[in-house]
Amino acid sequence: MTDAEFREAYESHRDLLFRFACRMTGSAEAAEDVVHDCFLLLWRKKLVFDRKRGPLRSFLFGVTRNLALKRMGKDGSFDELAEDVAVGEPADPGNRERADMVAQAVAALPPLQREALILAEYEEMSLEQMVQLTGADLAAVKSRLHRARENLRRMLAPLMPPRGTAYGKR
Amino acid sequence: MENDDGRKFRELLQEWRVPGVPKSLDERVLGLRRPWWTFLLTGSIRIPVPVGVAVAGILLAMVGALFKQRTAEPVLGSVSLIDFRPVSDLHVRVIRKHASN
Repeated sequence: MTDAEFREAYESHRDLLFRFACRMTGSAEAAEDVVHDCFLLLWRKKLVFDRKRGPLRSFLFGVTRNLALKRMGKDGSFDELAEDVAVGEPADPGNRERADMVAQAVAALPPLQREALILAEYEEMSLEQMVQLTGADLAAVKSRLHRARENLRRMLAPLMPPRGTAYGKR
Repeated sequence: MENDDGRKFRELLQEWRVPGVPKSLDERVLGLRRPWWTFLLTGSIRIPVPVGVAVAGILLAMVGALFKQRTAEPVLGSVSLIDFRPVSDLHVRVIRKHASN
């Protein structure tokens, strides 16, 4: 990868990768480190991008995803066995901002559920794209996304309008 | 078609926005492409306070010791040559390395 290609790759993908890492780790500082490490690996040729295996976007996204999950594991917040557990009590609105409550509710999700939700809701990826990115099978991705939405609906129920579906019972 | 609850749920999720890319990330990533020696001109390092204090203390002690050594050197005064007499009879004797007495 030439100097110009590296710069182009960074400038085209930094916003997407930072946003994703920020939501995954719940911290702008951690996200900065994750995205930096991703491009450090690329520049030092520790990772070689092969165009035949897919677009650069998917490649960088995959690297960022792995680094974020690794970092969360190191911080002790990533336990894959706990993925099936329903999490979170309904949020207490108090005086907090709604956006903060959403952020905290997403952060309370197990990492793989969180990842599925972020990719689907914030990055607007299709299930096929999520399968390609995460390397999981379609059923697993669907299941993670379903559980993530159910958990979030339960936690954010106090912020939703009273009429309509009773959240958490679907 | 998405139901009303689903739409409101999505709208609620979108209220959470994350900050934009910080300048420091640009500097860190684009800085990777510079040659290593430019670090000597533009780089900076973070030093833990105890290490910094220790290094500063050692430097101060070294400067202090050097200064003390210079000021402690004896100052030679003027020497009177009034009673000086040159050698009148000079016999040069060469003493070789392994010469016995």
